Amino acid sequence: MTLAAKFKGPGWYRAALSIPLGILFGLGLTVGVRALYGYDPLFDGDAITTVALISTPLAFLVGIGCFDYWFYWAAGKPTREEDHSSHGAHTWKDYFKVNTDHKVIGIQYICTTFVFFVLGGLMAMVMRAELAAPGSQIVDPNTFNGLFSVHASLMIFLFIIPVFAGIANYVLPLMIGAPDMAFPRLNALSFWMLPTAGIMMVASFFAPGGSFATGWTAYAPLSTETPLGQTFFTIGVQFAGASSIATALNFLVTIITMRAPGMTFWRMPLLVWANFTTSLLVVIATPFIAGSQFFVLFDRALGTDFFNAAAGGDVLMYQHVFWFYSHPAVYIMMLPGFGIISEVISTHARKPVFGYRMMAFSLMAIVVLGFTVWAHHMFVSGMFSWLRVPMMITTMLIAVPTGIKIFSWIATLWKGVIHMTTPMLFALGFITMFTLGGISGIVLAVIPVDIYVSDTYFVVAHIHYVLFGGSVFTIFAGIYHWFPKMTGRMYDETLGRIHFWLSFIFFNLTFGPMHLVGVDGMPRRVADYAEEFATLNALISVSSFIFGMSFFIFLYNMISSWRHGPKAAANPWRAHTIEWQVSSPPPIFNFDEIPTVVGGPYEYGVPGAQHAIFKATEEKREPVAAE
Amino acid sequence: MESASISAGHAAGSHDHHGPPEANQSSRVDAQMLGMLLFIISEVMLFGAFFTAYFFTRVVNNEPWPGDGNELPVAVAGVNTAILLSSSFTMHWGLEGAKHGNRRAMRIGLLATLMLGTAFLAIQINEYVSIGFAISESAQTSIFYGLTGLHGAHVFIGLTLLFFATTRAFRGHFTEKEHRGVEIPGIYWHFVDVMWIVVYTTIYLI
Repeated sequence: MTLAAKFKGPGWYRAALSIPLGILFGLGLTVGVRALYGYDPLFDGDAITTVALISTPLAFLVGIGCFDYWFYWAAGKPTREEDHSSHGAHTWKDYFKVNTDHKVIGIQYICTTFVFFVLGGLMAMVMRAELAAPGSQIVDPNTFNGLFSVHASLMIFLFIIPVFAGIANYVLPLMIGAPDMAFPRLNALSFWMLPTAGIMMVASFFAPGGSFATGWTAYAPLSTETPLGQTFFTIGVQFAGASSIATALNFLVTIITMRAPGMTFWRMPLLVWANFTTSLLVVIATPFIAGSQFFVLFDRALGTDFFNAAAGGDVLMYQHVFWFYSHPAVYIMMLPGFGIISEVISTHARKPVFGYRMMAFSLMAIVVLGFTVWAHHMFVSGMFSWLRVPMMITTMLIAVPTGIKIFSWIATLWKGVIHMTTPMLFALGFITMFTLGGISGIVLAVIPVDIYVSDTYFVVAHIHYVLFGGSVFTIFAGIYHWFPKMTGRMYDETLGRIHFWLSFIFFNLTFGPMHLVGVDGMPRRVADYAEEFATLNALISVSSFIFGMSFFIFLYNMISSWRHGPKAAANPWRAHTIEWQVSSPPPIFNFDEIPTVVGGPYEYGVPGAQHAIFKATEEKREPVAAE
Repeated sequence: MESASISAGHAAGSHDHHGPPEANQSSRVDAQMLGMLLFIISEVMLFGAFFTAYFFTRVVNNEPWPGDGNELPVAVAGVNTAILLSSSFTMHWGLEGAKHGNRRAMRIGLLATLMLGTAFLAIQINEYVSIGFAISESAQTSIFYGLTGLHGAHVFIGLTLLFFATTRAFRGHFTEKEHRGVEIPGIYWHFVDVMWIVVYTTIYLI
């Protein structure tokens, strides 16, 4: 390919050209408008950065080639033959291109999100080093505020939410017998918006005045008055949110319109159910965080008065709008994990999922109830006091569908043939840790207790029990479970077990004591603390370092197994769901012929039970059977 | 992942086929249609966030609307509403044309919708210029510009989609059987229309 063609066609060459153009556009537009209105100074760094933060990612997306087909289509040019050139990966380089294959996009998602997981984790390590002893250690308080803000934003918007989208991207179309997602190009666009959002958030550290330091919640009016770094969060979240909405829409359409013949809703694997319900939450709730960040952006950039109480604005409105997204968001971060755990436990315990229909109904119940509890984050905010008790009651009610799930998993394990593989260990770890986190959640729902422990380490402990002991354990379970399918190799079981036990023990030693210092009144989000908390904090910090180290065992296991691990069979877990009935890794177009679903997905131990049949396979097997 | 090419498995010896198998259509609803409907749900919620801001200022805090000494041009906006509403009818006319293979009706319908929508935007911008208060004056003016501006942005998106459809219509696309490229932007356009009625009622009328 000639150099000129490289710059003309989609890819990194063109992106390298389009990014400076995007920056120039932002600069030109800002300066032009300011000149038109006669503003002084003409070159305002904050204004230029704000506009460039919007124009540059868009220019990058155009350059890398996310919009090529649509431009072509919109211009109404004659139909061109689909040559599938953007589908599937043949070398590692294909993972760095705009690709429409859901399997490639899944891997792209997972690898990208784990990069941000490592970055966010390193920030946590720096924080723990700072908190290892009272007084000031290695960072100043403002940097510390930036660290916990970026840590949480990366973990939530760039790791947990998208990594579930990545896992589902890979396995969901295979599970329902679809050749790809419903909108493959939209899928590619959703992925490419993600690294731009993440890079923006990390880049905020280089902004004058430091990174955004208002927590991932970015409460107004603090967030409307802090330095430029806040804009990186405000706009970055928009890209992450748009990516999230587009993916969710894609999942919903795929699940509704592309299931294999015979795959009724009541024959769908629970991972599919989990992503169906999660996607509903995303589509309905995510626009609210977009709204809240629009208001902040307008207040910062256009001088609006949404949060200016002196001019009739309402600061509590921010919290209502924000939590109306962000409480459902905790279920967005948990429901896909529930799906993974159902798959893992049923497969590795060789038992049908207990109460399959109740598992699906409880997911739907969580979706509905999830929208009715947002103000339990605001008990101390000074909101309408009549709203407190209803919110407490609905919050406690959510424990019912969640409890149904916990009991169903335990009942699934009951008298099962439990194989203590790494995914199973993580699933069992998840059940215990998530139950503990759920219980401290119930404790927090009680208004007087919540008022007492508000903004203390008790809340930090709770959120890490549900998000790490809950969500991240399910992510590990899912990654280990589908690793053979995704890579065609087996991971190292011993290393996997060491990873589990180290993270399980040191997770508890890190976050368990936080309950105690929290109840004693140690405030969160502060770089310094009183002498009396020194002993436990030293223990927490040391444990957290070992805990952080255990992740590198996982990383080593994944990388070395991907490169040199033993070849995996098509179905190493003898699972019934469709993704295991194709080769590992699956063929480039998933199936030669769409399978027909003839039974439930989890009929383990039922003689002769089948979930799906492949016509082509049946015909080919006949001569073998005759031998 | 060097082995990610077409590999064996259940489909040994089928290296010669190119392209994915035909997906099973498990719903009567068309994928594109469903995608647009879900997108509209998402858009409604975005408007919901802006209406929350409106609600908090006007209802919860009982601030005067539309702010002290500010007047909204109800009549002009009413005419504008009529323009946008009529564009829904021309849109429907264009779609019916596409469905019945009447290319002329389809093109005229799309063009008329495009022009009415552009007229709406122009009048809206003129209203901003002559309304006499700035976006940064008070929470009420911020919300006024926020909600009408959000709607205006949606009109712009709708017009862009319609512009694509019109271009394609004039380049000979769309048949009696395949007219989703008209139908789906059309649904979005109707949504923009209905949303305006809600915005007009809450901002200007009550």
